[in-house]
This record gives sequence, structure tokens and C-alpha cells, in this order.
Amino acid sequence: MSPEPSSSDRLLAVDRLVKRFGGFRALDGVSFALGAGEVLGLVGPNGSGKTTCINTISGLYPPDGGAVRFAGQTLGGLPPHRRARLGINRTFQSPRPFASLTVRQNVALAAAYGRRHGADAGPADIAALLAELELDGLAERRAEDLNSAQQKQLDLARALATRPRLLLVDELAAGLNPAELARMAERLAALAGGGMALLVVEHLLGFLDRLTDRVIVMNAGREIFEGTLSEATRDGEVVRVFLGGEHVG
Amino acid sequence: MLVHALLGGVIYGCYFTLIGLGLNLVFGVMRIVNLAHGDVLMLGAFAAFFLFHLVGLSPFIAAPVVMVGFFLLGLPFYYLVVPRLALAKDAEMLSLILFFGIQQIIEALAAIVFGSSERSIPGRVLGVGPFHFLGQTLSRAWVIGAAIAAGAVIALYLYLYHTRSGLLTRAVMASRDEALASGIDIHRISARAFAIGLALAGLAGVFAPFMLGSVTPAMGVSVNLAAFAVIIVGSLGNPLGTVAGGLIYGVGLLLMQTYFSAWADLLPNLLLIGVLLARPTGLLGRRVRLA
Amino acid sequence: MRDFLSVGLPVVAIFALLPLVYANQLLLFNFVLFLILAQGLNAIYGFTGYLPFGYVGFFGAGAYGFALAVMHLAAPPALALLLAGLAALVLAMILTPLLRLSGAYFAIANLAAAQAVYQVIANPALQDITKGPYGVSLASVFAPRASYGAALLILAGVLALVAWLRHGRFGLALQAGRDDPVSAAMAGIPVVSSRIIAWLISALIAGLAGGVFAWHISVFYPETAFDLSTSIFAIVFTLFGGAATLSGPIAGVILLYGLYNLIGISVPQYFQLIYGALIVGLVLFLPRGLASLLQRRGVDVP
Repeated sequence: MSPEPSSSDRLLAVDRLVKRFGGFRALDGVSFALGAGEVLGLVGPNGSGKTTCINTISGLYPPDGGAVRFAGQTLGGLPPHRRARLGINRTFQSPRPFASLTVRQNVALAAAYGRRHGADAGPADIAALLAELELDGLAERRAEDLNSAQQKQLDLARALATRPRLLLVDELAAGLNPAELARMAERLAALAGGGMALLVVEHLLGFLDRLTDRVIVMNAGREIFEGTLSEATRDGEVVRVFLGGEHVG
Repeated sequence: MLVHALLGGVIYGCYFTLIGLGLNLVFGVMRIVNLAHGDVLMLGAFAAFFLFHLVGLSPFIAAPVVMVGFFLLGLPFYYLVVPRLALAKDAEMLSLILFFGIQQIIEALAAIVFGSSERSIPGRVLGVGPFHFLGQTLSRAWVIGAAIAAGAVIALYLYLYHTRSGLLTRAVMASRDEALASGIDIHRISARAFAIGLALAGLAGVFAPFMLGSVTPAMGVSVNLAAFAVIIVGSLGNPLGTVAGGLIYGVGLLLMQTYFSAWADLLPNLLLIGVLLARPTGLLGRRVRLA
Repeated sequence: MRDFLSVGLPVVAIFALLPLVYANQLLLFNFVLFLILAQGLNAIYGFTGYLPFGYVGFFGAGAYGFALAVMHLAAPPALALLLAGLAALVLAMILTPLLRLSGAYFAIANLAAAQAVYQVIANPALQDITKGPYGVSLASVFAPRASYGAALLILAGVLALVAWLRHGRFGLALQAGRDDPVSAAMAGIPVVSSRIIAWLISALIAGLAGGVFAWHISVFYPETAFDLSTSIFAIVFTLFGGAATLSGPIAGVILLYGLYNLIGISVPQYFQLIYGALIVGLVLFLPRGLASLLQRRGVDVP
């Protein structure tokens, strides 16, 4: 194994991140780093802070402590639309399309507003992206008329339309059938192969297993384990948190 | 003069608490903006007027009659309108428009049935002579209005904090979804709160002829603005916070009338905007997440 | 632009020709005025979801901006009209923080703001400046035909604007922010600043409408300029036809304001009753307006 590069060289460095809601510490000093082309899984019981972590990195919540560095830049209170233009994007646990717009408009807007300045998207670009995510047949439908699996594809298409360097994936697999799952895993793996960094929050460990070997296990806003998925399943504390029903904290 | 303005403000403010109380309860439980609240109050005032002039009932007896009547009307009315509204994507905003429509209907019907002339009830039915307190002379009607309002606040507090139904009502206020998930019959609880809200508006209406001057079908709009100022200043969605709003409003109004009478009408609006802008989260919660 | 050519331009042309065959120019003017106001309200409510209950505040600010410019600066009507728009724009800038509020809070605060502006302008203490509650008379610039023409020009501009909002990048971004502000931000859309632009545009339109109103009728009182039913009419017309479309608010104005003039003038209470019932029925059974009847069948309503 090659030595771990220092976190400042990595695309994303999360350093002792804290997020409080009232007196509740949803994130309590989480740190990790992620390089281009890497996939990092984020697992943990409900309420352990995974989605809060993604929301804070994507700028929906300002952090109450710690820092998020992206491509060498400390993000601080940078608003989400500026982060999108820097190359950070995400999908949502339950899809959040622009309901009254068509599928094509959903994607075209993200391409128009979400890319770094100068990177323009032509109609052909958008058509190719829609085809890749099997949305080409639905391009002129209003997003609210899509079923939930299709809306998940749309969420992903919209995120990809901004050409992200870091993609935060929040439970994309839930609700997909086995064939869809396999295709989605392949697709994400291909994105990572193309140099994109992926942070994947996932309950389905089988899905995660196809993507990455490196996971972080969270509980009560803290990281309790970092390593491979197979080690994690043998780790005493991880097993207790998942199976014991008694959440630490 | 200052003592009189302060004391009068507190007493007058109690009545304004009563005006806002039902509106705030309805908003807290249902997230519905009842723009017809002032018109329900107007109906209460007309009920008191006719009960007095046709049947000879004093307002003290008219008050429970009106409250029970409005409560019983409120239940079916809730089921007729609100569950359907709750289905919509943007229910809070649509409720504003819907209840504006209802307000128009009530106002139009009242104008057709009652005519648009000003009505009043002679003040002597509440008893004769002013009260004296701390060396100040206070209008008898104001003191009685304040006492009734205080009684209503205490009764609502007892309902919310010392009955099972009140406990469930607070659960719905805290989180509608969680309440639904834990098996609470939301509509039964909400219908009750809605009906109580109407009954409180009716009660305020019974004493409106003495507190607000004469009664006309068009009085609802200005009552609404005052009621909104009271509940927004006090804390929207928190019925007992209305008390703070009512007192601030009452004292503010009397101080303005004493020292800047030409600009006194501006007060409710400035108070409302000022509080909303200064403390959109603290006092009220809920603001746009991305702002 | 094709919506503007197919829907907007014909409407303007019809109202340009109608005075030749129909003598009641004041009524025609009022139709044009409400077409402007309904589309102006559409620009903020339809495209961002913010319901400005106090929209009339901008209209009144425009009317008084025009009047003050004529009375105190002896401005010619064209300049006074620009100042009317500017007055509303400045008011909207002052009120921009209201956009931090959501839903009902915004609507109520906006209503209170409109009332406050009215109370300041109508205050007898300011009689030397605004003529307070006694109203203004602008007989020196009275010119019904020119002001009708100006109203038509404003209408044409506003219709073109809404047509652009429906299909242009900026308007789509606004709609995305209305549908879901969080995912719109993640798509790179500056949700807050684009909303503010829509707010200013919408206020500017109402200000111009108020200015041209002041010019056309030339004698008015503060309660006419700040009549709350102006807001309500604009909201209901827009909602009835279908917000965020170009043709919906037009249909709403023609049908409902037509109905108002058939029955409302002689027996206002009965009209108020019908109107109230219409609103209730609309919200409960057709919350997305007439346009949604066609949209449900897959028709792209212009």
C-alpha cells in the first residue's frame, strides 16, 4: 500500500466538522479526505449524521465548527449555488426535481447555471446526458409525472449536468429493483473511473460493496470506524451500533 | 398621562389578546391563515346586537350563547373545507386565498341581511360608572373586556395543558406528521381547535360594540390587521404568546394615541413589519431556508 | 417570443382598435390596467410563488409618484411616468428584506407594508406634500387618448416580458427556485438574487400601471390609489386563469372583470358574494386555474 497523501492534497478535506441543531450535535467533529476518482462510503444508523454531513458539504447548512476544504479552497459559508459552480454536486434522499418543468428543462438549467464559467452546454450535450441516464424518452414530460425511480435518475442527471468533480450521493439505491441497482452501481463506478470523487451514503451494503472498499461508519455525529467494508462488519462497536439497537449517545 | 396610557394600554391590550387568541390557535394547529377571523368577530358582534335588541339578553348571557353556537357551527365547517384544502401542494398560501373568499361571502351576506348602517349597544348594560384604580379613571367597558379576555386566556391554558384533548392539540401543533404517525386523529383534534377559534372570535365580537365602537359588516378587515399584528408580534402559532403581543399592541397603541395621535393608525403595520424583519426566526420560527 | 406573437400582440391590437367601435374608454382603460397588473403579479406570484397581498402598495406608490412629479416638479407626463415606476422600484428595494419571510408571513407583511404607505400618504400631517386625504387633481396633464396609448405600450412590454419569463433561461430558473429552492441552488441557480430581480420587475410594472392610472383619471384619492381590492382582483384574475402562463391571467381579466362590470357596478354586495363563492370554489376544486384543465390533458398552454 502506498502511503496516504496528506489531506491538503486531496480534492475534499473535511476537518473536525461540527453541526448543531439547538443543543443537538448532529455532526460532532467528523474528519475525512477524498481524492479524485475515489469512492468513499458513509454508513451508519438513522440519525447518525450522514445526510447532515452531505448537507453541510453542499452548503445547505453553515458549519458550526471545523472546515470543509475543496480543491485547496476553504469553503466557509459559501452558498450552495457557488459550490455547485466549483464542482460540488449531489443527489437527494427523496428526489427533488423541478416538478413543473420538463425533464429536459431540469437538466438544461443545471447545465446552464451550474458549470464553471465558460463551460457551455449545447443541446447535443444535454441529449447525450439524457440518453445515458435512460431519460431520453421522457425528455418532454413534466418532472412531476415521473415515477420515483425515474425521478432519481433525473436527480443524478441534473447533478451530472453541472460537471461535478465531487458527487455526494444520498441513498440513491433505495427503492431500485436489482437490475436497476446493478446498472446504477456500474454507472457510479464509471464516473469514479473518469476521475470524479464520490461520497456515497448508503444503507444497502451490497450496493456499496460493488463501488468501494473504503467506508466510514458514523454514529451520533461521530466517526466510529474507518476502513474496509469487510473489516467494518467484524468490528465490535460497529456491530453493536447496527445490531444492538442501542445508539451510543 | 403616561400612567393612564400605560394602564389603559395593558387593559385594552387584554382585549386585543382575545381578538388574536382564536386566530393564533387555528394557525398553530392547522397552519391555516383564517383571513375571515375578523368577520367571524363581526358576526359575534351582530349576534350580541340582535340578542340584546330583539330578545333583551345582556352581553354576559349572550357571550356563552354565541360561543356555543359558533363552536357547533365551526365543527361541520371545518370538515367541509379544511381536509380538502390540506390536499393541495401549497396549502398555507391557498388557505389565505380561500379564507379571503369566505371573508368576502360573509361580508356580502352580512351587508345584504343586516344593511350597512352602524349598530351599537348602549354601554349602560355593562353597569354604570367607571372604575378607579391607581388614581386613574378607567372605562368600565375596558375593564370588563379585559377581565373576560383574561378569563378566556386562562380557560384556553387549562384546556391545552390540563386536558387530554389539549395534550393531543399540542402534539399536533408541535408536529402534524409525528402526530399522524402516532395514531392521533388529526382531523378530530383540528376540528375542535378550529371551532374553539371561532368561539373565541365570537366572544371577542360580543364585546366589540363596547370596545371598538359601532358595528358594521365591513369592520372585519381592520380587525384582521390588528389581530395579525397581535399574533405576529406575540409569536405566530403559539396561542399563549398572543398575550405578549396583545399587551405590546395595547400599550403601543395608547402611547401613540397619547403622544403622536396623527400617526397612531400606523402602529399595527409598523409593529408587524418591524417584528417580522427583526426576528423572523426568533419570535416566529419558519423562514426561507436559503435566504 | 412565439407566445407573445400568438397571444400578446393580438390582445394589444384588439385593445388598440376597440376605442374606434366602443365609446366607454374608461372601461377599456380599466381592462388594460388590470391586464398589466395581473401580469405584473404573475411575474412574482406565478414564477416565484411569493404572493404579494399588498401589491397595490406599488400601484399606489406609482400613482402618487406620478402625481408628485406633476405637482411639484411640473414634469411632463412621460417623465412623470418614469418617476412613477422609479417610486415603486424604490419602495420594492426598501421592502426586499420581506422576501426572507415565507408563505403567509410574506403575504401579511406585504399587506401591512402597503397599508403603512397608504397611511403615510393619506396622513393630514403631510397635506402640503401629498394633499393628504383630500386627493390630487392633475387637470393640467389630462389626456385620455395619450394615456390610453401609454397604457397599451406598457401592456405590450409586460406581455413580452412574461412570454420571455416562460421560456427564457431566467424565467425557468425562477420556476425551478419556486418548485424547489434547495435543488435549484444545487443546480447553480442563485435563487435569492433571481427572486429579488423578479420582485423588482413586478413592482416596477405595478408602479408604471399606477402612474398611467393617475395620468388617465387625473383626479383621485388615496383610498382609490391604495384600494386593497386592486391587489385582490389582480390575484384572483391571475389565479383563475392560471398562474405562470401568459394566457391565463388574460383570460382571468377578460372573464372576471367582464363579469364584474355586468353585475358588480349596480349591486356590489351580490357581486362580492358571487366573487367570494368563486374564490372558494376555485381554491377547493381548481387551485391551478383554468389553464390546468388543458394542462392535465397534456396541452402546453401558452
